[in-house]
Amino acid sequence: MALIEIRRLRKLFDGHPVLNGVDIDVAEGDVKVVMGPSGCGKSTLLRCINRLVEPSSGSIHFRGAEVTGPDVNVRSLRQQIGFLFQQFALYRHLSVLDNTALGLRKLKGMKKKEAAERALHELNRLDMAGHRHKFPAHLSGGQKQRVALARALAMDPAVILLDEPTSALDPVMAREVAQLINRLHGEGVTMLCVTHDLEFASAIAERVAFLDEGIVQVEDRLSVLYEDHAHPSIRNFFMKQERSS
Amino acid sequence: MWAEFFRDLVDQGPLIMRGLGDSLLLTAIVSLTGFFLGLVVFYFRHCQFAIIRLILRGYISFFIGMPLIVLLFLMYYGLPPWGVSLSPFSVAVIGFTFNVAAYNAAYLTTAYHALDSAELEAARAAGFRPFQVFRLITLPQVLRFSVPALTNQVIRNLKDSSVAFLIQFNDFFSRVQELAATNFMFFRAYLFAAVVYLLLVMVLVLIARQIERRVMIPGVYIAPESLGSSAV
Ligand SMILES: Nc1ncnc2c1ncn2[C@@H]1O[C@H](COP(=O)(O)OP(=O)(O)OP(=O)(O)O)[C@@H](O)[C@H]1O
Ligand SMILES: [Mg+2]
Repeated sequence: MALIEIRRLRKLFDGHPVLNGVDIDVAEGDVKVVMGPSGCGKSTLLRCINRLVEPSSGSIHFRGAEVTGPDVNVRSLRQQIGFLFQQFALYRHLSVLDNTALGLRKLKGMKKKEAAERALHELNRLDMAGHRHKFPAHLSGGQKQRVALARALAMDPAVILLDEPTSALDPVMAREVAQLINRLHGEGVTMLCVTHDLEFASAIAERVAFLDEGIVQVEDRLSVLYEDHAHPSIRNFFMKQERSS
Repeated sequence: MWAEFFRDLVDQGPLIMRGLGDSLLLTAIVSLTGFFLGLVVFYFRHCQFAIIRLILRGYISFFIGMPLIVLLFLMYYGLPPWGVSLSPFSVAVIGFTFNVAAYNAAYLTTAYHALDSAELEAARAAGFRPFQVFRLITLPQVLRFSVPALTNQVIRNLKDSSVAFLIQFNDFFSRVQELAATNFMFFRAYLFAAVVYLLLVMVLVLIARQIERRVMIPGVYIAPESLGSSAV
């Protein structure tokens, strides 16, 4: 059984369906990539998984248990799911080290010293230990991204959801993030990543799911989607991308 | 003439010092109670219950709109017929506290709008309880952003404490008035009061700058005018 199983997921905003029957599986150890045009509901999809958004109908199983039920412990669910925001969302009043250690102390109940050691270990893993006393405002976009990843990894999550991890970065940094994700993949970290950056997607996965008009239109190898696809919205999306890159 | 004035000043010295002590005590107490009540009002001003939010919005508007002196007179002269007689000091503490808390809650609320909602969402996504998000993310930032406004309020409390003499509270200013009434040297007496207030305000300003420097978030600057701090 997959780590995350999404079936017939629907989400309506003001009566208008944004997600209209999405099916997606994320297997343990997998890097799953979902692509789609702006506004197609990529962020909404991720936010349904950790209940930042309440799904309208359908089911989401995480580790075999339904997450949309009324008596699910949402906070415990969220602690098992790392979430990387588009704009990184570091706590700006805390140093890099404290950003990474906060959840360890206040959610996992670690002592200050133990939490700092663990946080430092994760920062080291992402080459950010040297910046541990800096504050978010003094970091570059790529560095913020690494700290956000370290903060998520420190909680030892079962999966990390990444919302357009390269959209706020320049192409060079985007390539570094791709390398980083590949490295973490090699270390066994499960990830679900939504993006509309084709170069990035092809650097981290061979297959992608294409989300549009509320459903997964197709899931296939990128090389197949690149070719003149019969489906007009797919053709449109991938051809436009190729022109711009 | 000045020599004569200072002789009288020294004569009345103990009383004037007591008045100064009472003024400072009132300022210190209402700065603290106003701060903590302001925090409580601010917290519930953003709680999940619409009715509580509405009531507290009303509270803030009401006490900011109501002149402090009217409030003090209402409590000091208006309540005794109803069987409630409070000492001048109690009236001053209660009246100032409600007033100062409303202002402080308003400053904190303005700072709240300068928060990055993505950070609050990130904290929720990490699994923090709503109160943890408030205590660990919202409050530390909002307090830091509000330091200029909150410390200005303390300075205002000191200056405003002089109106408490109108409800028979024997503060520093009322003692200076007594001094002036005995020797009719009004200009010298009030000039003396002005100098004392200015010196005290200067001390508070220096302390405020120190606090600001200490709690500043590196690399984050939020324009004071966007945070509702008024000039001293
Ligand atoms: N809280 C909300 N209330 C109402 N409508 C919303 C809400 N959140 C999202 N939407 C709408 O749902 C649609 C999908 O939004 P979403 O942010 O999931 O898209 P996206 O694919 O992530 O887009 P982008 O690539 O721009 O990030 C949009 O039309 C958006 O306006
Ligand atoms: Mg989005």
